[in-house]
Amino acid sequence: MNCESYQNLLSDFIDGSLTPQDCKKIEAHLVACGDCAEARNDLSAIVDFCREHRGEYDPLPNEQAMWLRITNILETEARVPSRANIPAGAGWWFRLMNRSWQLSFPKLAASVAGIILVVSLVTVVGMKQFGFSGSGFQSAGLTISSNASMKDRIRQQQQLIDYWNQRVELNKMRWNAQMRETFDRNMSVIDAAMNDSLRHLNENPHDGVSEDILNAAMNDKVELLKEFSEL
Amino acid sequence: MKPHPPTSRTNAALVSFFVLLITVTASAQQKVSRHFPAGKNVRLELKNLTGTITVETWQRDEIKITALMESPAVHFNPRQTDAGLVIDIVSDNRGRENVGDVNFKIQVPVRSSVDLETRQGQITVSNIQGELVRAHVWTSGDITLSGVNAARVFASNTTGNIFFDGEFASGGTYEFKSGQGTITLRLPADCGFHLVATAPVKRISMGQFWHEGMKLMGEGRRVIGDVGDGRASVTVTNYQGQINFFRR
Repeated sequence: MNCESYQNLLSDFIDGSLTPQDCKKIEAHLVACGDCAEARNDLSAIVDFCREHRGEYDPLPNEQAMWLRITNILETEARVPSRANIPAGAGWWFRLMNRSWQLSFPKLAASVAGIILVVSLVTVVGMKQFGFSGSGFQSAGLTISSNASMKDRIRQQQQLIDYWNQRVELNKMRWNAQMRETFDRNMSVIDAAMNDSLRHLNENPHDGVSEDILNAAMNDKVELLKEFSEL
Repeated sequence: MKPHPPTSRTNAALVSFFVLLITVTASAQQKVSRHFPAGKNVRLELKNLTGTITVETWQRDEIKITALMESPAVHFNPRQTDAGLVIDIVSDNRGRENVGDVNFKIQVPVRSSVDLETRQGQITVSNIQGELVRAHVWTSGDITLSGVNAARVFASNTTGNIFFDGEFASGGTYEFKSGQGTITLRLPADCGFHLVATAPVKRISMGQFWHEGMKLMGEGRRVIGDVGDGRASVTVTNYQGQINFFRR
């Protein structure tokens, strides 16, 4: 047997599930081979750590869904054509997009400096062109970004809610009537809190209390949906 | 032989019926009781599906679990860890549909930490003086924490009342959250805490803990301020119900 064969048996060796003859062979090899001995030590450390910390970590909320997403991403990436295989009759845009870009550090630094210079010039010209005073521009910018960030957060949370809601709806058919009724009643309480906060925020977009309540209620809704999606 | 009068026959039939009914009800329930050795600072984790959870303290260094299981009975596999005891009814019964309620009665040492969850049902914890008391009802169920003196307390439900009668430790963290129900905190007069209480329906009653230094925000929907030395951190949130403070 070579080192690769011995290393394939290391996991079973550590678990104690090999025959005594195989154990003796591996022990003899580990004494003679430094690389395999090191591999055995690493694997033992990992196995010991897992045994010591068993039960300390929560399982992922939905492991199956996560693996499905990973598989989808890998498959999508696999479908992207290789950049090295550019057909002879390809257009200039295709060639440009599929070209391998390799820049040295000075080239990269010069490019970044150039981009910063151009953006700065455009910003200064734009400010002069539209006649913004310093403070007015800043405050307007802050308001826009503040409102935009809140809307973004709400949109992101809503996407999460929609995702988990779909999963719950799939499972709901299997629940008994009492469970469905309890779930719907409690969800309506959280929905009412969200709608109330949104109404307040429409009237006063700077209402911090409503924003906090909205965030808390949306988080609660996501958590409740996650919990019940596994039922 | 003298025949029985009709009334005697009716009575006998009724008695038989009730005996049968009691027998059937008893057979539909299953009672499991187990003891586990425990240190003084043991941690108990319980994730229930549906049913009540009652935790009390006793003077022994052991945990006693009594589970009254409705039919169809859940799988019930308590697991001892270095820190204490884990009962995860949710994981133990994953994939099973429509299992019955489990009503737990648990006795633990006084210095225990308890982390309790149920999807529906009441949670009651009495006289715990450990590091952590966490009680979470995912949907409907009252939470009652009495005689609790822990450094960290978290109580939350979606619908149902929350009642806390205990003490706040200096530097401790205390969070109470309900979607719909009344949150009541009963505290000793000399307690000290920093409070952030939020109730969109504007019903926050501070009782004798109110003083002029407290701030009302959002047209009375939030109260912020220190009581006493302000060293414990207390956050109370109620989406659609009221928040009441009482001095013991």
